[in-house]
Amino acid sequence: MHAIQQQYWAVRDYLSPVLKESKFKEDGRITPEEFVAAGDFLTYKFPVWSWEAGEASRTRNFLPTDKQYLITRGVPCLRRATSLAYTDEERLLSIGGGKDEDEWVETHTGRSHAGGPEEVGEIDDIPDADDQDDVTHGMGNLSLNGGKSAEPADIPDIDDIPDMEEEDLEGEDDAAVAAPVKPAASKVIDASSEIEPAKGNLLQVRTYDVLITYDKFYQTPRLWLLGYDENRNPLTPAQIFQDVSADHAFKTVTIEPFLHSSTLQAASVHPCKHASVMKKVIERMNAGLQEEQAKKLGASAPKDKSGKKWPFRKPSGPNAKDQPAGDDEDDGGMRVDFYLVVFLKFIASIVPTIEIDSTTSF
Amino acid sequence: MTIVQFSPFTSLVEPGFWHSLTDLKIDVLKLADHSVPVTASYTAGRSIVDRETGNEIALGCNVTVGADSFTDKPHIPTHSVLAPGTFKNYNTIEEFKAADKTSLFNELTDEIWESITKGSTEKLSKFLVITFADLKKYKYYYWFAFPAFVAKPAWETDGEWRNASEEFSKENLTAIHMVLHSSPRAFFLVRPSGSTLEVGAVEDFDSFFDEVPAEKRTIAFLDPSALPNNPGWPLRNLLAYLAHRHPSYAASGIRVLAWRDTELSSDGHWKSRFGVVTGSFSVQDTGAKPGTVGWEKNPQGKLGPRVADLAPMMDPTRLADQAV
Repeated sequence: MHAIQQQYWAVRDYLSPVLKESKFKEDGRITPEEFVAAGDFLTYKFPVWSWEAGEASRTRNFLPTDKQYLITRGVPCLRRATSLAYTDEERLLSIGGGKDEDEWVETHTGRSHAGGPEEVGEIDDIPDADDQDDVTHGMGNLSLNGGKSAEPADIPDIDDIPDMEEEDLEGEDDAAVAAPVKPAASKVIDASSEIEPAKGNLLQVRTYDVLITYDKFYQTPRLWLLGYDENRNPLTPAQIFQDVSADHAFKTVTIEPFLHSSTLQAASVHPCKHASVMKKVIERMNAGLQEEQAKKLGASAPKDKSGKKWPFRKPSGPNAKDQPAGDDEDDGGMRVDFYLVVFLKFIASIVPTIEIDSTTSF
Repeated sequence: MTIVQFSPFTSLVEPGFWHSLTDLKIDVLKLADHSVPVTASYTAGRSIVDRETGNEIALGCNVTVGADSFTDKPHIPTHSVLAPGTFKNYNTIEEFKAADKTSLFNELTDEIWESITKGSTEKLSKFLVITFADLKKYKYYYWFAFPAFVAKPAWETDGEWRNASEEFSKENLTAIHMVLHSSPRAFFLVRPSGSTLEVGAVEDFDSFFDEVPAEKRTIAFLDPSALPNNPGWPLRNLLAYLAHRHPSYAASGIRVLAWRDTELSSDGHWKSRFGVVTGSFSVQDTGAKPGTVGWEKNPQGKLGPRVADLAPMMDPTRLADQAV
């Protein structure tokens, strides 16, 4: 069933025309050119983001070959969204003001917490305990000067590997371990007794690779997630859903083949609502901005270039080239460059615990 | 004096790497199991402030392999440097288990040591990865080794690692940032030049530091660790390199700058660390290869292979199940 659906989407995507005219102010959709412009701005302002070319066979011809999608790697995620209190979530949505939240949340009323993976939430306790353990343990090892190398205080493995596989792994491991460790033992243990490698870095933090592609059918950016657990194993879909706010898990977030790879599967936030939400967010921000401007109008010159025309710092210094939209759009409103920055703020409400929004300092 | 504790490299394998491995295995290697060059990358250590507790949490000291690690010209993520590696895949789990890991490891460390004696820093972070790919079950067994030379007696610091801004002025750090921003380097030298700093290659040690007094010579490296008092793994081999190539300097105390500021933070806070490392470790007498360590531990903290189970993300039947 899913396969058929995906075929259908592929065909629909193929048939749908490339958006030519700028529509982002009217309905929140953007053209590929605007996507590139916004992406350029994002990568410039926030160098954690970069353009990727993807697989050559999957290149989409309406985008420059070296700018097929955006990626940022290793985005930390400290807690599970399912463990967030509901109020937190609403606070996180506050970007467009009260009214917006309601609208956005209301579009997904069936907020059943059931069905979501429930066995989570305790992960956040672990880092502290662990850190201490490791430090003391590391010290212990040092003074003992010898002994078995490093059996870090058995981490309670609430870890996500299903039991079955764990057994598998163990069985296979033991056999494989014994052989190599023994011969190397003299060296390895010697060494570790002298210099116990720092242990504090046992992280209990999930990380995500976050990718943004351009969705041709919906004419919006589309977000993809590839997750790793604290041991840097890839996350399963169920685990990824733990990091998606309950309103959106299983509804707008699904696992799908990644556009720019022939084999890769990734969790994706379905873009069907992006345009309308983005439109509302943009409108609201613009409205707020205009009010502010109106207030300021008496005091400061309206064409104040370095002024806070928009709640982001404009590219400052020797980078005038990064203002392709020009200053003639002073008629109030967001330049399309900011689209992805705003988009990330909106996405942050769907995946509240993934620190995707590196733009908060603005 | 405190013994320097290095934060070990940890492997981070992007799913794309397994996909590439699958293709490589099926289309190119087939049943061959010879070693293949592979390339990984690492970047400066990152930390994140927990919004609820305010604690700063250091992220891993990661070496990343991705989809294009097998290609000749892998794409380097921003601010990252490449680490060369050797990849070896086994056809069966039995072969994987029975592999002579010690000799593989020794071959690699010989190679690294040889490059050190020749005065090159290129292979200081060279790594080894062995795999077995259970393609039908979408399971990948793998084991990384990041060889490091053991110093005896161990390297020590005279006290704490300090924030780099206590040693260098903001302008100087910015100068380093500007140089590295355009072309990231894994290892480099820093010397004062008037009011600012200059950056040079470690290979040019003698000429670069020719007229610089020892207390102004600084050795720096791109530090994948984010822990305040633990420099990252690459420093270990860099110190071994210095001990071998420049023993008199190494014995007198090495000023180490652990470079972590690939991105300037908006609040003007510098993350790089600075410390003076001393040690009587010497390899000059014999020139023989020092002892080595470096097999990566698995999640249980034991020396052993790891497994990546990609069935949930690759197996068509399981994908169909969750896509209801």
